[in-house]
Amino acid sequence: MFEKTLIPVAYGEKPEELKKIGNILKSFGSRSICLFHVSEAGSLFRGSDISWMEAHKDVLEELDLTVEIRTGSDHIASAIAEAALQEGADEIYLKAKRHWQIRTMLLGSVSRDLLRLSDIPVFVHKIRPRLPGEGEGRISREYLIILYATDLDEISNRPIPYLMDFQGAWCHILHVRDRRADPHSEERQKKKIDELLLGASEELAPYFGRVSSEQRLGDPAGEVLHVSEQIKADVIVLGRKRRGFLAAPMGETAERIVTGTKASIFLVP
Amino acid sequence: MLQDHFRKEPVFLLSSGIILTFIAMGILFPEVLDRAASAVHGAILDYFSWLYLLAGFFFLLFTLAIALSKYGTVKLGSDNERPQYTFFGWVAMLFAAGMGIGLLFWGVSEPLVHFLQPPPFLTPTSPDAAAFAMRYSFFHWGIHPWAIYTIVSLSIAYFSFRRGMPALISSCFYPVLGERTFRLPGNIVDVLAVFATVFGTATSLGFGALQIHSGFTHLYGISSAISVTIGIIIIATALFMASAILGVEKGVQILSKFNILLATLLLAFILALGSTPFILNLFSSTLGGYINNLVDLSLQAYPFAGYEWSRDWTVFYWAWWISWSPFVGLFIARISRGRTIREFVLTVLTVPTLFTFIWFSVFGGSALYLELHNDVDLALIAGEDVSLALFAFFEHYPYAGMLSLIAILLLSIFFVTSADSATVVLGSLTTRGSIVVPLYKKVIWGLSLSLVSIVLLVTGGLDALQMMAITAAFPFMLVMIVLCYTLWIGLSQEKFEE
Repeated sequence: MFEKTLIPVAYGEKPEELKKIGNILKSFGSRSICLFHVSEAGSLFRGSDISWMEAHKDVLEELDLTVEIRTGSDHIASAIAEAALQEGADEIYLKAKRHWQIRTMLLGSVSRDLLRLSDIPVFVHKIRPRLPGEGEGRISREYLIILYATDLDEISNRPIPYLMDFQGAWCHILHVRDRRADPHSEERQKKKIDELLLGASEELAPYFGRVSSEQRLGDPAGEVLHVSEQIKADVIVLGRKRRGFLAAPMGETAERIVTGTKASIFLVP
Repeated sequence: MLQDHFRKEPVFLLSSGIILTFIAMGILFPEVLDRAASAVHGAILDYFSWLYLLAGFFFLLFTLAIALSKYGTVKLGSDNERPQYTFFGWVAMLFAAGMGIGLLFWGVSEPLVHFLQPPPFLTPTSPDAAAFAMRYSFFHWGIHPWAIYTIVSLSIAYFSFRRGMPALISSCFYPVLGERTFRLPGNIVDVLAVFATVFGTATSLGFGALQIHSGFTHLYGISSAISVTIGIIIIATALFMASAILGVEKGVQILSKFNILLATLLLAFILALGSTPFILNLFSSTLGGYINNLVDLSLQAYPFAGYEWSRDWTVFYWAWWISWSPFVGLFIARISRGRTIREFVLTVLTVPTLFTFIWFSVFGGSALYLELHNDVDLALIAGEDVSLALFAFFEHYPYAGMLSLIAILLLSIFFVTSADSATVVLGSLTTRGSIVVPLYKKVIWGLSLSLVSIVLLVTGGLDALQMMAITAAFPFMLVMIVLCYTLWIGLSQEKFEE
């Protein structure tokens, strides 16, 4: 599923950092990388030398990855989203920059726009999983902790094929819901959700090293953030719902999770 | 031992403890109580009088939205349940519980008092002041009080009949509190409901006793000393407690129907013998003015001129309705099982309101007619003693003595039925929503209602009654805002329950 990944790169990107990213993506199953650079309208570097991208390509190719280079222009997020579609990428990889991790966990406007606009899944790499240092080898899937947040409805089944790309990891399934209006309905609902979670766990069990599940009551974003910290999740997999009238651009829950967590996000539109 | 008892009866012990402390304070340190109550009341009015207006308007919009939404067809009970009472019996009971005494007390005097003492931007006793007086009488007794009652009664009816929870205010908090509904947080909600009910009912009983006393003084010239009012409360207490202890629920229904019929006869009599065309014109034009200005009236606090007037009247009324709402709400909920939300809301909002408008047009309108066209100085009497206005008004009709006696009879029956229902409701609120209330609780709550009423009358009379209604209503208003949210949550889950 993660066969081809599009990585937006900017001038000044460090090759060694890109190598670590390449390693991670390879461990998730990527075979092909498309490096994509967008020049802003009026930029001094527009259309000029792209030899720095060639250097990045060489670094990634050393990892046995097929690498292509593409450039675009104008509105950055739109150009990336469009290029990902044209190139037939399976996902877009976005790295939350280090200084963001230290100061705040907010995403930049380009990332937010891209999460809103993209029609293909976006992987936002935040603090976890930590990029391996020099000589540390690759990230092993059996040490990864995946938090799969689901509404247990048809829409939230969309991320399942992508979830399967994290096979071998520990998959924790989380469902957050409202409290029912009376104890009897609450009990029935709890039981029903337990059954659905059990079904989902049984379905995923053959593919993962460990599968666990839980249901929680309350605010979905708050609970996802809480559980992801509790289990130290490396990646949160969740579907992005079509936004409602007056809702936040990418959906309030997704937006709060994306901006608030230290784990990486795999957001499936 | 005490801890065990508290675990079993937290709501009863907490609420009776607070009320008994209040009564003891009123008897032992009336000045301290008066100062404390005045300070709390003053702070609430200074900072939150606007909130009463906004909340009242919000409750009206919310009830209409629920009734007209897809949830309007949801039944208050199981899907195939039928209403327990006939339409007339149902309307008569909810009217008797919700308005009874107040309507008799204020029907003549309120338009007259507004006419004599309007806000500063109007000239007293002018035609403008008369139109203003009628419009505000409609407003204070119109659709808003019933919207306030509807929030509580609809919530209780929905959560108890549809969701199988105990008939308690706290039951409606399950979507927010979960299992804590049955522990201290839920108990506190019920204590607030008891607190509001005791002071709201005591206010009405105080009004009723004052007016019965005024009627007797007017008819037979008996002393106007406060001890006589206290004597009237004691006699009425004996009557309503006997009724509550004997558990004559059917009796309340029969008395309510009888009272509505008697009140309608009285109304027809005054309409026929008064200036009928003037009354009907007044009804039509005031109704038009009321509908046309509903939004403005709902949110108008007159911050530049007339702010004091708005606080003294509109805010007091809103607080009074809110403090009545747990009792009336529980009572209306109990008699409304089997009706759909739409039928329930639209009937409760319109039928009693229409009757009230006719009542004010006939009584208040006739009084204004006498004042404006016959040079009868009724407004001055109402300005000096509002409880006397009705009897002074009857003086200008044939069979005045009999009319006054009928009014006293109506007041007494309303007094007994309201106090009886309130005693049973308070008992039920403090017995985990059970209909079977132990005798000692009925006695304690019956006596508490009368004692609070006496304490308030002795410490500050009518002002103290109004002050306590506003104070007791404040926390319950916040409870009601949460009720709107939980009711919405409950209804929005209906589709998942199918």
